[in-house]
Amino acid sequence: MDEKNKMELAQIRAKLKKLLVSQLSLENVKAEEIKDDEVLFGEGLGLDSLDAVEIVVLLQRNFGLDVKDMNQGKKIFYSVDTLAKYIHENRKK
Amino acid sequence: MNVLGAGIVFNRGRGISCLENALIERWVAPSDSVYAVKPEIINDQVVLKDSRRADKFSKMAILAAYDALEDSGIKVDKKSLGIIMATGFGPHATTYRFLDDILDYGDRNVSPTSFSHSVHNAAVSYIASVLNVNGPTITLAQFAFSFQQALILAKSWLKEGRCEYVLVGAVDELSKTMEYIFNRKLRVAEDGKIKPFRFLQNSEAVAGEGAVFFLVTNVDTGKRYCRFEKVYFNKDVCRDLPDIYILDNDGIIEDETAYRKICAEKKPLITSYTPIFGSMMTVSAFNCAAASLILKNQICYANPVLINPYKVNICANTKKMKIDSINCVRYNCSKVNAVVELKR
Amino acid sequence: MKTARVNVAVTGVGVVSACGNNLVQTLACFDEGRRNASKITLFPSEFICPVFEAGDFTGANNKDRMRTLNLALAAAGQALDDAGLKNNLDDLRLGVCLGTTVACQLNDVDFYAALRRGELVSMDSVDRYLKGNLAEAVARYFNLKGVCCTITNACSSGTDAIGTALSWLRNDYCDIALAGGADELNRIPLAGFSSLGVVSNDLCAPFDRDRRGLNLGEGAGILVMEKESLARKRGLKPNLFLGGYGLSADAYHLIAPHPEGLGLEQALVRALDEAGIKPKEVGFVNAHGTATLDNDKVEGKALVKFFGPEIKVLSTKGFTGHTLGAAGGLEAVFTVTGLKEGWLPQSIGFVNKDDEIPLTPLTRRTQINSGYAVSTSLAFGGNNSALVFCRRDT
Repeated sequence: MDEKNKMELAQIRAKLKKLLVSQLSLENVKAEEIKDDEVLFGEGLGLDSLDAVEIVVLLQRNFGLDVKDMNQGKKIFYSVDTLAKYIHENRKK
Repeated sequence: MNVLGAGIVFNRGRGISCLENALIERWVAPSDSVYAVKPEIINDQVVLKDSRRADKFSKMAILAAYDALEDSGIKVDKKSLGIIMATGFGPHATTYRFLDDILDYGDRNVSPTSFSHSVHNAAVSYIASVLNVNGPTITLAQFAFSFQQALILAKSWLKEGRCEYVLVGAVDELSKTMEYIFNRKLRVAEDGKIKPFRFLQNSEAVAGEGAVFFLVTNVDTGKRYCRFEKVYFNKDVCRDLPDIYILDNDGIIEDETAYRKICAEKKPLITSYTPIFGSMMTVSAFNCAAASLILKNQICYANPVLINPYKVNICANTKKMKIDSINCVRYNCSKVNAVVELKR
Repeated sequence: MKTARVNVAVTGVGVVSACGNNLVQTLACFDEGRRNASKITLFPSEFICPVFEAGDFTGANNKDRMRTLNLALAAAGQALDDAGLKNNLDDLRLGVCLGTTVACQLNDVDFYAALRRGELVSMDSVDRYLKGNLAEAVARYFNLKGVCCTITNACSSGTDAIGTALSWLRNDYCDIALAGGADELNRIPLAGFSSLGVVSNDLCAPFDRDRRGLNLGEGAGILVMEKESLARKRGLKPNLFLGGYGLSADAYHLIAPHPEGLGLEQALVRALDEAGIKPKEVGFVNAHGTATLDNDKVEGKALVKFFGPEIKVLSTKGFTGHTLGAAGGLEAVFTVTGLKEGWLPQSIGFVNKDDEIPLTPLTRRTQINSGYAVSTSLAFGGNNSALVFCRRDT
């Protein structure tokens, strides 16, 4: 992966972490404390089904992405890393 | 129905001791011209730790309910506690946040979190989760008589054995939109003072918000604030005279002339604490919290606002006295009354 | 300290939904297995999902009132007629308890949009709302002076309104009551449920393996419930009764049901206990069955666990869509009508059994011959409610 892509991914991850904290009201979590490969749902960050659909909205509003199939969503929503890669490959804005 | 505990969140603070202080301090001008609950009042990292998404409406409800249970000192079994919450307008601030989403992003791009919090019963769902109770839970909305209906249902549940204890309470919140509606629909008091004893046809309101909960039971534990004796509607309010009348008029129902009838009575003391709480559909619940303190402490607290053109027998000074019964009286916009009878 | 049991009879029903504007039309629709879904016509919308709109019911076009109220008035009028209560309502202690989700919301988009633009806004929608507390407005329309309350327990509101009326009757707050629920198809919940990812773009398929979510609908279902003693005094020979009611909180999650159906089971235990019956005595269950992945899995498992694998189950949401606050009212009408008529429609929309749900709902019109039936509701906020209806022919 070239430097440009790496940098873009890092930027997306940073933006995502901030968005997750603000949009999901993660009151006691600091964006920079979320690890790139930390599991988002259940264990790890402890997100739930309502967070999942809120992330769908977050992706629409901030990256112009539609996640229609929540089964596909499960893989994408695994961690900040997987989310960032998906955004990087598919985003429209 | 014995009142074993009470919790309150209102403009002047959180907890029943804050209410006691407010009753002693009497009227204080509201900041921002409304009786709003400031964020620091509902900032509780411990009780609200698993309620990160809760909106202000839910947070006020959770804290008042939690405090009422704590105040009672009772450890209840999770199946034996029911929750009944009354609200005039529900969590409308969240509803408007959801409408903001629709207007800003379109119908297809709205926040599911806002939507799920805009239902009236989200607050009770939080209370049940925070207290971990599996008993019956209901949210109801009957405008000016919401709290009275909640009391009727609580009494029924206890009698039917649906639960041994009920957290029964009321919540209403303010928002910029609600303030706008107040300004358009009602005469708003420019001095920020609700004046309960003027009995005008077009009385003045000052918007308020907050939450009150009571832990009630038929179990006799010996230690209690008072009893909710009876709730009745559309009866002659002067039939059985109590020691004190508390009037629930707060300007939100414009025409207050019907209250004059009670004030022709010379014997009972007449009070109203609505100027402390602000105008709310469910203000009766807040006055009932004041009534509970009066009966418990055997102190009649002076009226916060003493403007009294009809020379009504109001309580001008806070005084110790023997008090066995209080009737809280509310009229709705059809001039139907609801009376909550509290006994020592 | 339990009160002496007052027998509560069901002496009238009223119903409006996509199935029909009254009970006769509804039963015909059930019989034919007709699904009156359409595109959204009530308001402009970008959504392409099918919805179940009510037809041209009496009073539908009265614009001075909220549509939800018009639906409620139509159903309430039918219920009063059915109970033979056309006149002399003043002499009765008649309570009104109705559930809703839409009518309790101050949520007019046009009002709010104009307000945001800083315009001097018309207060018409606010006035409509302030005059439109559902129970109060129905009571005012029929000039009823009894106890009156609107239940706002999300999707179990209708069921809980009927349960609350039962408590009133047993505790003598009234002698007779109108109880049920009403909700209109409305833009706000449609957007909301869509954002939760639970709205299907196909016709809903309750309990089916390939279900993809709910369809929204609208309607009103209202019962006349009265003390048996009053019914007999009025010269009726009631044979349908509400025997019990249970409700219980999951204390689990705002939008997801408890995975083991904990609250639902407790609600059923209470409702059957009040009715004094055992699970095996129940002839059928009109399930909540919204056709969302979560609801049907949890509810199906809990029903089979509680009633055993032979229990007859149907969801009528394939006919009506999910009518939110009206659902409990409509399904109470359908349940009590099933007991009365002796047959049930197929649980329409179901085709393939789901390996994760241990039940097959009714796949055809089915004769029943049983004395007891249950209607369940599961709601946002983890509310679970159950009603037990009985038929006693003497």
